[in-house]
Amino acid sequence: MTPLVVADHVSKWYGQVIGLNDVSVSIPTGITGLLGPNGAGKSTLMKLLTGQLKPSKGSITVLGEGIWGNPRLFFRLGFCPEQDAFYDRMTGLEWVSGLVRLNGYTESEAKRAATKALEIVDLIEAANKKIGGYSKGMRQRVKLAQAIVHDPELLILDEPLSGMDPIARRRTIRLVKDWAKAGKSVLVSSHILYEIEAMTSNILLINNGRILAEGDVHSIRDLIDEHPHTVHVRADNPRSLAREFLTRDDVLSLKLEQDAIIETSKPDSFYRYLTELAASGHAGTITEVTSPDDNLQAVFKFLVK
Amino acid sequence: MSTTTPDPIETLPTAAPAMPARPIRQAPPFATAALRVFDLSLSQMLWSRRTIFLGLVVGSPVALGLMLRILDAFGFAGNIRMGGDSVNGSSVFGAMIWLLYLRFLVPVLGVFYGTSLIADEVDDKTITYLFVRPISRTAVLVGKFLAYVVTTIFVVLPSVVVLYLCVQPLGHGSLAEGFLSLLTDLGLLALGLVAYGALFAMVGAAFKRPLVAGLLFVLGWEQLAMALPGYLRKLTIAHYLQALVPHVMPAEGLGSALQSLFRDVPTPTTSLVILFAMTVIFLALAGWLVERREYVLEQ
Repeated sequence: MTPLVVADHVSKWYGQVIGLNDVSVSIPTGITGLLGPNGAGKSTLMKLLTGQLKPSKGSITVLGEGIWGNPRLFFRLGFCPEQDAFYDRMTGLEWVSGLVRLNGYTESEAKRAATKALEIVDLIEAANKKIGGYSKGMRQRVKLAQAIVHDPELLILDEPLSGMDPIARRRTIRLVKDWAKAGKSVLVSSHILYEIEAMTSNILLINNGRILAEGDVHSIRDLIDEHPHTVHVRADNPRSLAREFLTRDDVLSLKLEQDAIIETSKPDSFYRYLTELAASGHAGTITEVTSPDDNLQAVFKFLVK
Repeated sequence: MSTTTPDPIETLPTAAPAMPARPIRQAPPFATAALRVFDLSLSQMLWSRRTIFLGLVVGSPVALGLMLRILDAFGFAGNIRMGGDSVNGSSVFGAMIWLLYLRFLVPVLGVFYGTSLIADEVDDKTITYLFVRPISRTAVLVGKFLAYVVTTIFVVLPSVVVLYLCVQPLGHGSLAEGFLSLLTDLGLLALGLVAYGALFAMVGAAFKRPLVAGLLFVLGWEQLAMALPGYLRKLTIAHYLQALVPHVMPAEGLGSALQSLFRDVPTPTTSLVILFAMTVIFLALAGWLVERREYVLEQ
C-alpha cells in the first residue's frame, strides 16, 4: 500500500538550531502516533508535513504530492495545531464555519458542517459562546472541530489531548479511532505514551530531531513502565479528589497546589480510574488533566544511554 | 434480568460515520477566497487594541478643531493667520487635511496596519488556520488588506467629518460651500489609505523589522523628497496625492515660493492612474513574497 506521507532525508534548521536532522520515514494509512518529549522535533515535523515550513534539505510528499506551496492538498488534509491561539471574539460556530468556507463551502453548507463537527467534539452546547470564554479543554475541542470540519482523508493532530478533561480525552481518543475505522488516517503527536497507546500501537519515536524508532509500541512499553508517571489534575474540588486518590495503592505521592499533582506507578489504570471518576462526578468536576513531559524525558535518557 | 447503566461516553454520537458524504470540492475563486478571509478578519481588526489606540490618535485633530471652534464661539480666535495671510475655516480645514491627515496620519496608519497584516496573525499564532486551507496565501493577504482598508476608513473618515463640522464655519465659512471639497477629501484619504497600505503590506512581507523600515520611509524619505526640488518626489506617494488635494494651500514663505517654481505637479488623472498602478504592483509583490516565505511561530 502506498504510504500516506513520505519524508526523504528531511532536515530543518532554524538558523544555527537543528529542528529536524536527516529524517526519512514513511507513514502508513491508519493511526500513527508521534511520540517524543518537548523540543524533540514533533511540531517541526508536523509543520513540515502541513506545508507551513519548507525543508532545509530533503523532500516531503503527502498523499502522493509535494506539500510546500500546494494548498489544494488541504481539501484532503486537516490539521489541529498545538498552539492555544484563536479569534477569541468569535463564537465556536462562527469560527469553524468561517474557516470551512475557505474550503469552498457555501454559507449554509459551512454552518451545517461546522455544527456537525462541533457536535462530534461535544461542543454543540457552547457553539454560540465566544471562544474567549472557553476553558482549555473546550479550546482544544474547537481546534479539533476546525480540523475535521471538511472531512479530510488525513488528520494531523499536534498534542490534541493536552489540557482536556478525562471525558473529553476519552471522547477524542474514540474520535481518532472512529476516523481510522472509516478508512481515513491520523497522525497524532503526544509526549504521553499512554495517550498514544490508547489510540494506536504504531508509533514513531522522536528525540533531538531524529526518529529513534518506529513500529510497535509494545517494545518500549516495558521500559516506560519502570518510570513513575506524574499527572496534574485540575478540579473544582481538589481536596475531595485527593482523598479519593490516597486510597489507591498505585499513588506514590500527592501534592496539592493549584492542581493536584499525583505520581503513579500504574499510569494505565490511573487514567482509567480518572475517567471513571470524572464521568461519575463523585469527587466534583475535573476540568483539566495534563502530564509534564519529564516522564518521557527520563525514558528517553534511558533509551539513548 | 440484569440492567446496566450505559457508559456516558459511549452514548455520545460517533465521529467519522456521522460526517456527511464528501462532495467533490473546488477551491473558491481568488476574489471569493479573499472576501471570505476579509469576513473572518474584519471584526478582529476593527476591535483590536491597535484600532482603539489609533482611533485616539486620529481623534487628536478633532480635539484641536473643537478647541478652535470653542475659542471662535467665545470670540477668542480672532483672525486666523497662516503664512502671514488671514484665512477662513475652509483654508484651516484644507491645511489640516494635507498636513495632519495626508502627510502624517494616513501614512502612519498605513505603516502600522500594512506591515502587520500577516505579522499580527503570526504573533497571535492564528496564521496556521488560514494557511492550512485550500486557498492561496495571496488571497489571505488580500482579504486582510481589504479588512485593513475598511477598518482604517471606519477610523479616519468619521473624524474628518467631525473636524469639518468644527473647523469649516470658522471665520464665517459656510458648511454647504465646502461640502463637495469635503467629499473629495474623504475620497482622497481613502485613496491614501489604500496606496500606503499596499506599499507597507509589501514592506511587511519583505522585511524582518518592517515597522522601522516603514517609519523611516514615511517620516524620513517622504518628508525629505517632498521638500527637495527635482524628481525625487516622484518616488513618493505623497506627490501623487498632493495633485488631488482640492484646497488651495496658503503660501509658506520664501522657501515655499521657490519650491513652487520647480514643482512639477502631475494631473489628477495621471495621479489616479499611478496610485492605482502602485497599489496593484505593491500588492502583487507582497503576495509573491508571502507565498514564498516561511513563518516560524515562536514556541
